This record gives sequence, C-alpha cells and structure tokens, in this order.
Amino acid sequence: MARVRMTRNPLVAAAIVLTVAAAGAAGWGGVSRYQAAHDDSAAYAQVRDDALAAGEQAVQNMNTLDHEQLAKGLDSWEDSTTGDLHQQLVDGRDGFVKQIQEAKTVSTAKVLSGAVTELDDRAGKAGVMVALRVTVTAPKGKPAVKESRMLGQLTRTSDGWKLSALGQAPVGNTAG
Amino acid sequence: MKPGSGTTTDVVTDETDVATDETDVEGAEAGEAGVPGTAERARDDDTGAGAGAGADAGAGAGAPGGEETEAGPARRWPRVLAGVLAVVLLAAGGAFYVAGRQLRDTPATSNKALTDSAATTQVAGDVTNALGKVFSYGPGDTAATKASAQQLLAGKALQQYAALFGQVEKQAADQKLTLTTHVVRAGVTRLTHDSAHLLVFMDQVYERKGKAASTAAAQLSVTARLRQGRWTIVEIDAR
Repeated sequence: MARVRMTRNPLVAAAIVLTVAAAGAAGWGGVSRYQAAHDDSAAYAQVRDDALAAGEQAVQNMNTLDHEQLAKGLDSWEDSTTGDLHQQLVDGRDGFVKQIQEAKTVSTAKVLSGAVTELDDRAGKAGVMVALRVTVTAPKGKPAVKESRMLGQLTRTSDGWKLSALGQAPVGNTAG
Repeated sequence: MKPGSGTTTDVVTDETDVATDETDVEGAEAGEAGVPGTAERARDDDTGAGAGAGADAGAGAGAPGGEETEAGPARRWPRVLAGVLAVVLLAAGGAFYVAGRQLRDTPATSNKALTDSAATTQVAGDVTNALGKVFSYGPGDTAATKASAQQLLAGKALQQYAALFGQVEKQAADQKLTLTTHVVRAGVTRLTHDSAHLLVFMDQVYERKGKAASTAAAQLSVTARLRQGRWTIVEIDAR
C-alpha cells in the first residue's frame, strides 16, 4: 500500500498541479480577453483609424470629377458628405453640372498623407488634415498638377464617417 | 515490443498501473460495459503477463490489492475527467489569451496618436516649435537659426538642412531676405513610445526689403524621435 501510494502520489500531485495551472491559464486568458474587449483606448484607436480612412477617401472623392461621368462623380460627392456640406452640394448640383460640362475638365486626386487632428468618439466628430495631389486635365493644354492641403470635419452617421465641412487650409492667415 | 529492452521500463510503468491493469481484466470478465478498446486490453494483459514480477507483486499485496480492484473503475473516470478538464482549461486559456491579444495588439492600437493625448500634444508642440525656429531667419540672425537647427534636428534632416542652409545664408544676406514660418496645423499620423510621424501644414512668409511680402504654402512629412525627453526631427520630406 505504502509503495503504491509512493508511486501514485506524484502522478496525482502532478495532475492536480496541472489542473490548477490549467484553470489558472483559463482564468487569466479569460480576464485578458475580457479586458481587451473592454479596452477603451483600443476601441478609440480603431475609431481614429476608421475616421482617417473614411476622411481620406471622402477628401479624395471630393477632388475627383470626370466631366464624362458627372452623375457618378457628383453622386460620390453627395455620398461622402453629410449635413450642411451635403445640402450645399445637392442645392448647387445643377449649376455645377453646367460649369463642368462647359469646362470639360477631368480632376483626379491622390492622397499623399493624412492625419486625424481631433477626435471626439462620443459626439461622433473628428477633424482631419489631408495633403493631396490634384491633377486637373482640361481639353487644351497640359494637365495642371497642384499640391493641395485640406482640412475637413467629419461627422459619424449611421452610414459611417462623412465630411460635414471641407476647405483648403488657409494660406497667409497666420497673423494670430 | 522487444522484451529485452522493454522489460525494465515496462515494469516501472506497470507498477504504477498495476491496480488499473488488474481492474481491466476483472472488469472484462465481469462483462462491464464502457471500457474502451479490446486491443488495448489485450496488450495490457500481455504486458501484465510479461512483467509477471510486477503484476504478482501487486496482486501479492493481498487485501489492499483487492480493495484497489474494487475502487478501480470508479477511480479511472475521475482521472480521465481530470485530464480532459485540464486539457480543456488549458485550451480555453490559450484561446482566450490569443483572442485578447488579437483584439488588443492591432495595427490601430500600436499607434498611440491621439490615444495617448499627452504624448500626441507634446510631439506636435515640439515639432511645431522646431520647424518654426529652423525655417525662420532674417538677414542678420542666420547664426541663431543655424544653432537652433543643430539642437532641434538630427540625422538625415540635419544633413539636408546643412546642405540647404549654405544657399539660404547667402540669399538672406544678399537680398535682405526674411523668412518667417508658421505651422498652420500639425497632425500626428503615427506615434510609438520614441518615434513619431507627422503631417505638417505651414505657411512661409518671404519678405524682401522694399517688396511686398509673399506667402507660400508648404506641406511636410516629418519623422521625429524622442531623445532625452525631447522630440528631435530626423527626417523631413516635402509633400
């Protein structure tokens, strides 16, 4: 009996230790998983990246327009915006169509770099700055390439982040 | 299994398993259901016979051996359960941990821009100040600008700047040129504990004596590194 116990005990002890260790691993893993899921800064980081991606895409859309595909281009403008900016685009659409059809220009844009400058996760507001290269091709003459720097305000909608304001970063307005 | 080499080690394992081996045999005789694997049992019987000494020793213990035999089937299940439980718990722990890592360690979370607001503000402020100093000079004070560049720039940025500044110094003196640089907006695109990438919009106002000032817009991508608690610009690319 004594001998059997001697030989058996280490196994039982090892089994207990293993089980306890396994339970510990499960508990620790569970806690780790729970904390990760409820990690505010991880969620915030994800929102920041989502806002930046949406903002860069929207700014690019707003600087892209082909006179031969006007309807498609202007639809994409309207899809990229919300609020007052969206309303302005809808209201001004007819006049704009006329302008571009006369000018027959094709604009393409490439985002060079972008950054989120402010982000209010709760209010669903974000500010982005985007450097981009815009190429405008008119029927006559060489394509005009210009670097553009834009500041945009994003608002979160049920359909993702959309531009609620967009403008060139003002030049020469730095007295203050 | 060759008896020659296997015997000694088998004896050891059999000794620990004596009770259960015996149990298997008895259980089979009693027609007990639920003991898996007849092949395994046959092998157990073989080794039991081959390692006769060990098996005999167990049986020879008499009454205690009998008790073990009775308690055997009941004892095996907790053991199997414990094993399964341990494996399941370990697997669950591992799975949870991996899931947690995946949630936490994404490309998004490794970038501390804005999520660490203090560090974000600091790097944007340091870079804004540095660019303002390094790209502002008057005809008389290029030396001060040069000195601040030595402090605020490093690496590739300092080399580029040094190459450029030879011309700038001459121009400033010859044309009485004053350059003033204002950062309009600086945004942090990527931030880790000691390195940062920023996008900077700035205005540069050129003033020549006797002429109207002209303003140029510039966009820069800046790489900075944290050195001794201060962000130093190591690379500047025009956008």
